[in-house]
Parts: sequence; C-alpha cells; structure tokens
Amino acid sequence: MSLHPMYARPRDLEQASQLLASLSSGAVIIAGGQEIMPFINYGVMMPDVYVDIGGIKALKGVNVNDDEVSIGALTVHRDIQSTEDIVERLPLLAYAAQQIGGGWQVHNRGTIGGNIVSMHPLYDIAPALLALDADVELLSDKGLQRMSLLQLQNDSSHGLGSSSILTKILVKTMLPNVLWGYYKLKNSAGAYGSANAAAVIQMDGEKIKSIRIVIGAVSETSVVISKALDGYLGGAYTLEIGRAIEKVCIDAIDEPLSDQQGDGVWRKAMAGIAARRATEMALSNLTTSSIKR
Amino acid sequence: MIEDKKESESYVGKSIRAKEARAPLIGKAKYTNDYTFSGQLYAHILRSPHAAAKINSVDVSGAKKVSGVHLAICGQDVFNHTNGITDHLNPAIFGGKSTRLPCMAVDEAWCYGQPVAIVVAEDERTARYAASRIQVDYTPLEPIIDVEKAVAKGARSVVPGWEDNTLIYVPFMNGDTQAAFDAASHVITTDVKIHRFSSQPMETRCYNAIWEHDTESITLYGTCQNPHPLRLVIAETLRMNENKIRIIASTIGGAFGLKMHGHPEEPLICLMAKLLGRPVKWVESREECLLIGAREQQHKVEMAFDSDGVMVGLRDNVLANIGAPSACPGWGMVFLTGLTMPGPYKVENIDVHMNAVTTNKPSWNAARGYGKESTAIALELAMDNAARQLGISPIDLRLKNFIAKDSFPYNSPTGLVYDSGDYSGVLLKALETIDYQGWKDKQAAALIEGRYLGIGVAFELTPEGGTIPGTMVAGYDSSTVRVGPDGTVRVLTGITSPGTHNATAMAQIAADELGVDIAKIEVLQGDTNASPYGFGNYSGRSTIVGGGSVALAAQDVRAKINAVAAALLEVEPDTLNLVSGVFSSSAKSDATLTFAEVCYASYTRAYDVAMCIDPPLEATRTFKPPGIRHTPDENGRINPYPSYSNAVYVVVCEVDTDTGKIDLLSLAAAHDCGKVINPILVEGQVCGAFAMGLGGALSEDIQYDANGVQLTKSFKDYVMLRMADIPPIGVAHHDCPNPDNYLGLKGAGEAGVGGSAAALVNAVNDALEPLGVLMHEMPLTPSRVWSAIQNANNGEGVN
Amino acid sequence: MEDLLDTSALIQLRVDGEFHELDVLAGRTLLDVLRDDIGKKGTHLGCKTGHCGACTVMIDGKVAKSCITMAATLARAEITTIEGLLDEKGGLHPIQQSFWDEAGLQCGYCAPGIVLSALELVTDNHHPSAEDIELALAGSLCRCTGYQSIKRSVAEACVRMYPANENIN
Ligand SMILES: Cc1cc2nc3c(=O)[nH]c(=O)nc-3n(C[C@H](O)[C@H](O)[C@H](O)COP(=O)(O)OP(=O)(O)OC[C@H]3O[C@@H](n4cnc5c(N)ncnc54)[C@H](O)[C@@H]3O)c2cc1C
Repeated sequence: MSLHPMYARPRDLEQASQLLASLSSGAVIIAGGQEIMPFINYGVMMPDVYVDIGGIKALKGVNVNDDEVSIGALTVHRDIQSTEDIVERLPLLAYAAQQIGGGWQVHNRGTIGGNIVSMHPLYDIAPALLALDADVELLSDKGLQRMSLLQLQNDSSHGLGSSSILTKILVKTMLPNVLWGYYKLKNSAGAYGSANAAAVIQMDGEKIKSIRIVIGAVSETSVVISKALDGYLGGAYTLEIGRAIEKVCIDAIDEPLSDQQGDGVWRKAMAGIAARRATEMALSNLTTSSIKR
Repeated sequence: MIEDKKESESYVGKSIRAKEARAPLIGKAKYTNDYTFSGQLYAHILRSPHAAAKINSVDVSGAKKVSGVHLAICGQDVFNHTNGITDHLNPAIFGGKSTRLPCMAVDEAWCYGQPVAIVVAEDERTARYAASRIQVDYTPLEPIIDVEKAVAKGARSVVPGWEDNTLIYVPFMNGDTQAAFDAASHVITTDVKIHRFSSQPMETRCYNAIWEHDTESITLYGTCQNPHPLRLVIAETLRMNENKIRIIASTIGGAFGLKMHGHPEEPLICLMAKLLGRPVKWVESREECLLIGAREQQHKVEMAFDSDGVMVGLRDNVLANIGAPSACPGWGMVFLTGLTMPGPYKVENIDVHMNAVTTNKPSWNAARGYGKESTAIALELAMDNAARQLGISPIDLRLKNFIAKDSFPYNSPTGLVYDSGDYSGVLLKALETIDYQGWKDKQAAALIEGRYLGIGVAFELTPEGGTIPGTMVAGYDSSTVRVGPDGTVRVLTGITSPGTHNATAMAQIAADELGVDIAKIEVLQGDTNASPYGFGNYSGRSTIVGGGSVALAAQDVRAKINAVAAALLEVEPDTLNLVSGVFSSSAKSDATLTFAEVCYASYTRAYDVAMCIDPPLEATRTFKPPGIRHTPDENGRINPYPSYSNAVYVVVCEVDTDTGKIDLLSLAAAHDCGKVINPILVEGQVCGAFAMGLGGALSEDIQYDANGVQLTKSFKDYVMLRMADIPPIGVAHHDCPNPDNYLGLKGAGEAGVGGSAAALVNAVNDALEPLGVLMHEMPLTPSRVWSAIQNANNGEGVN
Repeated sequence: MEDLLDTSALIQLRVDGEFHELDVLAGRTLLDVLRDDIGKKGTHLGCKTGHCGACTVMIDGKVAKSCITMAATLARAEITTIEGLLDEKGGLHPIQQSFWDEAGLQCGYCAPGIVLSALELVTDNHHPSAEDIELALAGSLCRCTGYQSIKRSVAEACVRMYPANENIN
C-alpha cells in the first residue's frame, strides 16, 4: 500500500520476469488496466509497484502453427473479434468476445490475458476457451510452463498478475464439422452476465457425436460439462434431449452465485436454460458470418 | 428536426436548436468540476462503514502526518464551527419531528456512508490516502434497516430522544370512506412495493468553495438546483450573514432532484475553505452518489367499486423508508405521494395514511416525480389489478373513472385544484399512438405460438410548479430583461437549468415579446450575484415561472422601446411595426429606424426624445402563478400547485418465460403539458423520463445488506438502461392549456418516471396473465419474474 | 533491475494535434492528465469504474475510457478528445452539428464520449443500422434523452457525411 507507487515498463519478457522475481510482494502487472483501474481509482487497491507489460512484443499478435492458434496475452477484445485467424478458426471465441460488456471502449483496451487472469466469474472469455479446451503458457521464475486453462483455473499458486506472466493462449483450430453456440443471459444491455454458456458439438451426420458445455457466471468458476452428457450422444437432437441437457447442467451447479443480477435458485436454473440455448444455437448451424467485426 | 423560423412567425412553438447545447458538444461547457483556482485544494470524506454505531473516538493524527495534507478534522471539530444544517423542508412545520442535522457524525453514526471525518490535501489522491490513515473507534449498534422493524413497538429510536421512528405521519381523508367501502360491491386490495432507486445524473455532485479574503465572504461553485435558497442554508449553518455568500451554479450535468440542497457536503466544503483560506474542491464519487436514496415505499391500496365498476372509495396505507434524518427535501416526497391521491380518478371518499419512517439507511433526496411518481405507480398497478379482478378492460375501467374534461377546475379530495385536462383524450391519444388494437392482435397471435406479449398503460398526474408555505420552496420566480444600447438582450433569471435547455425556452419567449432575433439574446442563470432572487429548478416549474416572468419583464421593456421608437418617429406607439429588427409605422410610410437605433437613443437621449421612459431598458418582474392557494379552505387544505400536467404511457413487452427476462417492443406516451414552447425539447424530456422509469421498474435498485451496508456501489450493480434496451418511443401531445398561466404552460420536465414504470409492470402482468402471474413488487428483475412464474402455475412453471 | 523503477513515467502524447511530453505519476489516469495537466475539460468524470463512458476519448483512433486507462502505460499515443473535432476554421464536425440539430444531448455531460464513439462507428461504417449504432454506443450512458435523439443524431450525421445514404434510419 503506497501513496507513491513505482512504475516499470520492461522491454522484453526476460527483463519482465527478472524484475518480477526481484520484487517482493506488492507488484501488480498492468496490461489494459480495464480491470484494475477501477480498484485503484477507489483506493481499494494501492500497489507498491506497477509492472507495465504493454511494451513487450512477445505478448502480442496472433499466430497459427499447424492447427494451433497462438494468441498473445496482450491481444485486445476488439482484435479477438476481428482477426481473420480467430474469426475463421475460433469463431466461438470471437463471438464470445463480442458479448463482453463495457462497449467498444473496453473492447479496444481490455486484453485477453487480463480477462483470464482476473478470473472473474461473470466474464466471457474463460467459458469460451474452456469449451475449446485451450491451453495457456505462463512465465515465472520457474521458466515457461504450459498447462490447460482448466488446470490453471483450479491452481491457486500460479502467481499470475504479481510474480508470473501469462504469455499466450493456445487453442486448436475448430474442425469444420464442429458446431458451436454461445448464449449470454444478461438482465439488460448494460448488465454483466447472469448465465453464460458455451457449447461445442461434433456431429456425425444428423447424429450428435460429442458435446461439451461450459457454464459461466453461475458459480465462482466456470463449470465444464462433457462426460455427464455422454448419455445423449449417438442420436439426433430432440427437444427432450435439450431438456435433459438442461437438467444435467442445472445439476452440475453446486454453489450458485447470488448477486444483484439474481439469486442462486434462479442462477442455477438459468445454467440449464443458457446451456440449452447455446446448444440450440450450435445446432442451428451458426456460421462465422454472424460475427460482427 | 430543427425548424427555421420564418419572418413574422414566432419562436414559441418551434423546435429551436438549444443555444446552450453547443458548448458541451465542443467540450467547452463549464461544469462545476471544470473550475480550478489558484491554490486549489481537494477534500476527501471518510464515511461510516456501519449503519449504526457509537463513535468512541476519531484519531486524525495519522492523516495529518501525510505530506501534502492541510487539514484533517472530525465531526466534533466541525460541530464546534457550525450550526445544524438548515432544513430544506422542516418536517416540524408540518407536525413532524426534527433534530439537529450535523454536517458530520459526532458521537453516533446513523447510517452507512455518513461523513465521519474530512481531509483536505494538495490533491485528491493524497487526501484519500490520508483519510485511510484516520483511526475511528466504533461500537456498532443494532441497525434498523427494515421499515416494519422501525415502526414496531419498542423499536430503538434511530434518533436518540425521539419517541418513535416516524418522522411524520400525514393523513389525507375526505368523505365517508368507511361507508363507501361498506356499500361497495367490490373491494380490491393491491400491495405495491416500490424499491429504492434514485436519479443518478451523469455528473455527480461537486462543490468548490473559495474564501474571499478581501470581503471575508464565500463563493461556492456548486452543482445545485437552487442557488439562492442554498445561500441562506450556508449562511445559517456557518453562522455568517447571507450577503457574505455567493453561489454559482454553472452548467449542470443533470440533476433530477438529486442536486436540491441539504447535503452535508455543501456547508462542509465551505467551512473547509473558510478554515484554510484556500479554494477547496470535493467531487462526489459514484459510490457516494449511490448513497442518495429515494422512493422506497410500500403501499396497501384498497379500491372500492360499485357494481358498475365506478370507484367509490380509496384507501392506502403507506410506509416509506426514508432513511436517516437529512436536511435534503427527500422526505417531502412521501407527503406528495399522499397529496396527489387519487390522481386522475373521480372519487370523493379517500382515506390515505402516509408514514415517513426514519431508519438507519442513508437518506433520500428529491428525485424526478417528487413522490407523485409513486402515486402513479401505486394507483396504476392497483387499477390494473382491479380491472383484472372485475373482468373489465384496464382501458375501460380508467375511462369510466377519469375526472371528466368538463369538470375543471376540479377540487380534489386532498384539497388540490386541478386546472384543466382531458384525461380520456390523453389516454385515447396514447392508444392511437402505439396502435393498441394492432398490438392486442399480435399478442393473441403470439400466445398461440407460446410467446407472452403484454401491453400496459398507466396514467400519471404530475402537479407542477409546487410551493410549500413557510419554506424556501416558492411558487413564484423572477427575471430581469435588459436590452443594451446596441439592441442586444440579456436575460437574468432566478430559474436554473439542470441541463434541460430551459434557457432556450426563455430566450424564445423573450425574442417573441421583444420582437428581436433570438441570436441577440443571452440568458444568464445560476449566479446569485447576478440573477434576481429565485428558487431555481424543481417541480417542472422552470418554464412556467421562468418563462412567465421573462415574458412580463420583456413586455415592460418592449413598452419602453416602443415609446422611444414612437417619439423618434413622431407617431403613436400603436401604429408601430417591428419586423426583422426594423421599426416602421403605419402612420408614416417612409420613415424607419432599426431596433438598435431606438435602443441607443433610449440610453443617450434621456433628456429629450427618450424623456418618456425611465432608462435603462431594463425590467425585473415576478410571475406568481395565480392557481396557487395557500390560504387554507374550510378543511384546512391548500392548493400548492398551479398546474397539473398529465400523461399516459404505454409499454409493449415480451416476457421470456424460461428466464423471466423482459424485452421492450414498443413505447408511446401522450401528454398534456399545456402549450409546447419547443417540441424537440419537450420530446427530449418525455423520452428521458420514460427511460428513467423503465430503468427503475426493470433494474435500478440500491440495495443494502441486513446490516445496512451498501451493496450497490457502482454502475455494475446499479444497472441503468442503455440504448439497445429502449425501442423507439412514440410521443404525442394532447394539450389543454392551463387557463391561468402565461401561454397556458403546465410544465414538461418532471413527469414520466411513475407512469412509465407502472406501464411496464402492467405490461408484464398483462403478458403473464395466462399463467396466473401477478406482480406488484419492483423492480421486475428476471429472477423475480421467473420466480413468480414458477410459483404461479402451481409450481409447474411454463411448459 | 531497480533502475527500471521510477515513481513516474515519461510519456509522449499528441493531443488533438498538439504534442505534449509529460512525466506522469504511476497510477494516474489518462482522464486526470487530460483534464488537469493539459486542460482538456471536455472529457468528463462520471463513475471511475469504466461503466458510464463520460470520459471517452480516442487513443490512436479508437475509443477508450480515459478514467480506466493509466496514463503511464501510454508511452506514445495520439489522443483525440471532443475538443479536437472542430475543423480548422472552428466549424463543427458533422456529427457535432447533427447532435446539436437533433437535440442529441440535454445536460451534455455524456455527449463528448458519445460523439467520439459515433465518430469511430461512422469512420468505418457509412451505413450503420440501428443495431450497429446500439453496439457502437453501448459503452455510454445517457440519463437525459432516453437515447431516442442520440440515435437520430448519429443516423442524421451519416446522411450528412455520406450523402448517398438517404435511406438509412
Ligand atoms: C465496464 C466494463 C464491463 C465489462 N464487461 C465484461 C463482460 O461482460 N465480460 C467480460 O468477459 N469482461 C468484461 N469486462 C472485463 C474486461 O474484459 C477485463 O477487464 C479486461 O479483459 C481486462 O484486461 P486488461 O488488460 O485491461 O486487464 P488489467 O486491468 O491490465 O489486468 C487485469 C488483471 O490481470 C493481470 N494481468 C493482465 N495481463 C496479464 C498477463 N499477461 N500476465 C499476468 N497477469 C496479467 C493484472 O495484474 C490484473 O490483476 C468489463 C470491463 C469493464 C470495465
């Protein structure tokens, strides 16, 4: 807690990681600032040191290697929404990024890395990435480390934001026969999500081959549901199956959130509705053309 | 679209572009926070984290040690320098309780967020940091948050020394209500719960006080709606003479009642400037702004009807959770809610009990509608409920019970005198505007597909231009019209603008009365050293009394100018013509004079041709709307309003029964604000109020936990509507000019929050009627609507 | 490593065409720097949490909320505030003119931010649909107008800027 915090703008990753290692606690990484500035403005957070990673080239850009898309942590939401490689290969992510609140102003500055590291239950990026089984790459004093986002979500010792840096997000290109849907339930245009669901479905002709659903905004962390849906594979989609999916997803929520957007009982029920709607959106064969750049 | 005025036409009635709208568009408007003075210091206020607590000690030494801090003081020190804050409306005048209202908590904090200590420093960041170094030792008390607990027997008094927590109880009774209810065929009861939502202008409050060393006086640049009356409050609270205070309310970024005065920070910041001899600025954070409450009321409305569906009696018992005591006029909203009963309905027998109850929540301030919006919400929800129970259409039930258009002026059972109106006409106009039948058809078709559309209507009667005897809420106002030697015009008025462009309306009136180009008119508002004494803006009064007084003053000045023009042209004044700034006379075909030449002569030839007038070309006049009556009638009742604007709001929505989410499909309003001075400005008022009411009904909600700790701290939780939420709004006028006011004005700024909120609730209930859902508790968040759907249908929900 | 740390950062901003080199304290917002150091008071403080949009400016041609942008992180940037929209002769930008004509503002506190968001929209999209306008202005709150006249103002601006556009609404 300091009235006169320090600021550093490391040139590259090496310098950044050395700097972070040299600082005892109290350092805060800043990217777009869209998450931390409100806390700083209200004095809720008074860091001793800001480490601005905005100047680090290695954290920027979107690349494709074989079938893997690598997204630099500093990529802003607006670019997630419009970069060709993301729109074509990861339309679910592009679409989810479009559902982020705060307007273009926030989309132009908020980074995907900052969004993930915030681990805010109501946010949109994590459900989409979890549905795509994404990996992340971290840099800490232990060096570079790759792990799944799911693993990261359950690991409280990652030190992201103060001692380690999220460098990139790695996602396999979605296969052409993969259908996807994303449904965000929010009370009004300016509200945060009350239930966010991402669905990724593989079809075999008319038959459902696999389903993976991720529910966000309903519990403290996003909930990945796939195994529990195994019983509904192999046939065509029907409304009954939709209802059954709804039920499975409701049952998957143990401790629903309760906030001003709505109480826990409703939230839990909405997990099911959002899941069914995301599924239906996927099955209605939504294509990349519906993405607004 | 902006219309151009043709020669010989008048400005009044045209959509004239607001002159004052240019500066904000180029970033040059000067809002209060835009003023910074040499030696500027900044204040930060430390607030109570408890709803109720004894303050054992406040240790500011930690703050004083921070470099850059000039002053850090606690409530006791401030207490020693000040009197209690003068009430905007003292409840004691009306038979209620009063108490000393300190600028800061002294030995007991009575709500979350109450100021406890203040730090003044070189910059805001230092002040805030230093405030976090202040140590306060509290002993928390059991807070009284719930209104029912507050009125329960034996409840602890929020204000030590009071025998109970009712700040004021006001009954409104007329006729023989008991007999009416006994004889009625139907009695329909509706429990209406209105939550805490406030006006949240985009600009929060800001005060920047300067100690003027030469004159030992204070200049306060402040976001305030009523600069002259505030001057008295500051003077009394700081134990100074009123003539040592100057208030400048510059451009205001929205007010809606929230910037009416009584806030502790007003005298507090002035005191800081006085103690330090330096300019001190305080900018309210959004979190602080969300402490200001309004409207939280619960009603038990009972309507008695005869067998024809004619209302024969009305009862209501209202508990309003007004929070902790405050010098702001918020509590008065409760009084007005009762006074405006039974709104547009012709029923003599009423029995309405208003209870303004003090609790340990933060206090209210005025909010657009000033209680009249709550009357509309309670009545209109109850009317729809009654219609449903009686099996009559909500339209027919209203048409049957409206005061007929030939019964005006109408004496209401609370003592008001409604000036004019055609309520049925307004309702029918609104239905036509929305295409009511068309939507009814669509609703029926949608239901077959399992979709739930609803159409709701609601009436709002909005008495405007109010005044309360014995208070600084006056009904009249004054303006000066000054024409310079070059023929340009300066209008100075006691009316202020919260951002509604009422200066343009006044300029239109002045231009017409003087016969000059509107471009030659400058309107100055909000500086107590320049404007004539006035009461600022509230109660939709600005154009009624501001416009009226400008017209009177302009007429006086015009008479002087005409006299000089006639003398110069050597003709009779009644032969004069003024067109496009040139005087001519029907008695003399060749001679002309420009308006400017006449004005110059008026100033310079006082001893010959201009002998006929008293120079300069200036007049100050007051408009006192004649409809107001403060002499009590035989029942002791007064009519504090000169004007009764009214409107009908229609909402069409679709409810997603899976989620409870409400989608707005179409909106319309028809209203009667008397003569429309500037259609595009009036439309803006209607649409803005519509959005505010819908936001209130859908999502805006200031919540506290069971301990009275604020949960709603930012716009993340206080969700106001955005552009995508609001479909196009059809606006229609159905004007019945006020017979008593200049040009028939009735007021256009305040109405709409209650009517639109009620129409939304009625629309949702209409949509869900097939499911047996009926809700009278706001806001209608998806979770609340969804639960209601689950609970109806025997817990089966919808299939 | 220590030499990387400082209590302030040197930044270079071109604000409305004018160059400023500034040494800004860590943690300060772009809003504060614009208002207090450079005097651009047309950029307003409304909530300090990024929700209301009153503080909107353009950074390198894209809208941003200056109250949640830390000034130190803008090593070099081109900033456009509402004050930079006038033409050389001081004439209003067509968007400003349309907002004025169509009463797209009342108190005006949100107007600078909304006008700049509209500018970003119409720069790339000459034919915005109602939905496009809603999306582009989603980051701003207006408390006075109910947004009706704002939508009308943006549509009108497009018609004026791209006269072939008569049919949009
Ligand atoms: C008004 C508003 C509405 C919003 N609505 C939504 C919404 O609906 N859905 C949604 O998903 N999001 C929403 N957001 C959140 C927004 O998407 C995130 O705040 C944003 O993505 C954060 O990115 P940033 O770069 O600005 O983060 P910063 O504020 O810079 O950082 C956020 C956190 O991440 C850490 N950090 C950042 N980058 C890294 C990195 N590379 N490595 C390690 N640590 C890092 C920081 O230390 C900090 O703790 C909203 C934000 C606002 C202001």
